[in-house]
Amino acid sequence: MSSESESDASALENLSALSDGELDSTAAARACSAWRDDAAMRSSWHAYQLIGDVLRSEDLASTAARDAAFLAAVRARLSDEPVVLAPESAPQPVDEPAAPQVAHAGRSARWSWMAPSAVAAGFVLVAGALIVTRTPLPNAGGLLDSTMARVGFGSPTSQVVSAPTLAASESVMQAPTEVAVNGRMLRDPRLESYLKAHQQFAGSSALGVPSGFLRNAAAEVPTR
Amino acid sequence: MNAPDADAPLIERVKRGDVKAFEMLVVKYQRRIERLIGRMVRDVDLIPDIAQETFIRAYRAIPQFRGESAFYTWLYRIAVNTAKKTLVELKRDPLITESARASRDDDDETSRTENELSDGETPEAVLASKEIAATVNAAIEALSDDLRQAITLREIEGLSYEEIAELMNCPIGTVRSRIFRAREAIAQRLRPLLDTREGERW
Repeated sequence: MSSESESDASALENLSALSDGELDSTAAARACSAWRDDAAMRSSWHAYQLIGDVLRSEDLASTAARDAAFLAAVRARLSDEPVVLAPESAPQPVDEPAAPQVAHAGRSARWSWMAPSAVAAGFVLVAGALIVTRTPLPNAGGLLDSTMARVGFGSPTSQVVSAPTLAASESVMQAPTEVAVNGRMLRDPRLESYLKAHQQFAGSSALGVPSGFLRNAAAEVPTR
Repeated sequence: MNAPDADAPLIERVKRGDVKAFEMLVVKYQRRIERLIGRMVRDVDLIPDIAQETFIRAYRAIPQFRGESAFYTWLYRIAVNTAKKTLVELKRDPLITESARASRDDDDETSRTENELSDGETPEAVLASKEIAATVNAAIEALSDDLRQAITLREIEGLSYEEIAELMNCPIGTVRSRIFRAREAIAQRLRPLLDTREGERW
């Protein structure tokens, strides 16, 4: 302790309070930044959590090496995940005026383009469904598949793709929530929220010009 | 406990796109989640995988988390569902089941899956864990009454700072400071075991 400056001690005390949920959102944001930037903070956070666990139950004792390895594995997988951006919930007081919805720093910035293209991909899905409706050919699903791959969403295998029949695609059109099942950014109820959050896309919500969106998404990717 | 979820500030950060806040939640709950899964899945090699999958699923679903239950309750359910799903897949895929059986042969016909070995650790790691537990307990004993009471009310009883302040008849700021000092005092004794070089890896 003696080697630590007062500001370190204060930052650690904030970390301790955050662990108990007793920190306001501004201070919580600072504590999270401290965790991000400072290995000693990360180590202390782990120690505090471990202490709490051991106090509750001794069999929760674990070595730092093991816990760090677990986090490293989760972290590696998280880096493949799009950053979650929940729409602002109404009852939450807005403490950061006009808080930027899109990403903060570091790895987050990598994904900042994903949210708009995910919205675009949502339209591509709908557009794809339209194509399927009009041309119920056996390879229509493949067409949609390649469209999705181009936008960067190879993994979510959509129900539209798996059932490229007229009836199936109609049901998808009527129950848009089903489109969302496998693509987490594509959830239809979210779409409106995203359009609100990303005002620049609000004007394009008319669904009338899907081809414009295709070009838009393709152009966005290499700019970052 | 009617107090708001202690994880609410971190969850709010995650919802704003702060992945690091989610990592902090991982560090907070990984041990409990692994123990829970260890009680459901016999194959020790699968436990970390299922636990990781649990956190990834939780991360994906966190926009839907409305705080109607505590975060840990929600996470617990995801872990149970993930473990169940894995067990179903194991039945379908004999290859995985085979490797699971192979790793299980060592400790068959014993109740070892019920104890600490369920996380597939080496005897050295088990020993290190026991040492950590003993150190925490010794450090708690060495605390002053005020510090020990404060951290016990928080960590074991789950009381909020406000409730602890009422019980201990002191300002909330004092509670906050006592809990922090208790944690630091224990952490000081723990740090040699947690090894600073490992700390670099965090």
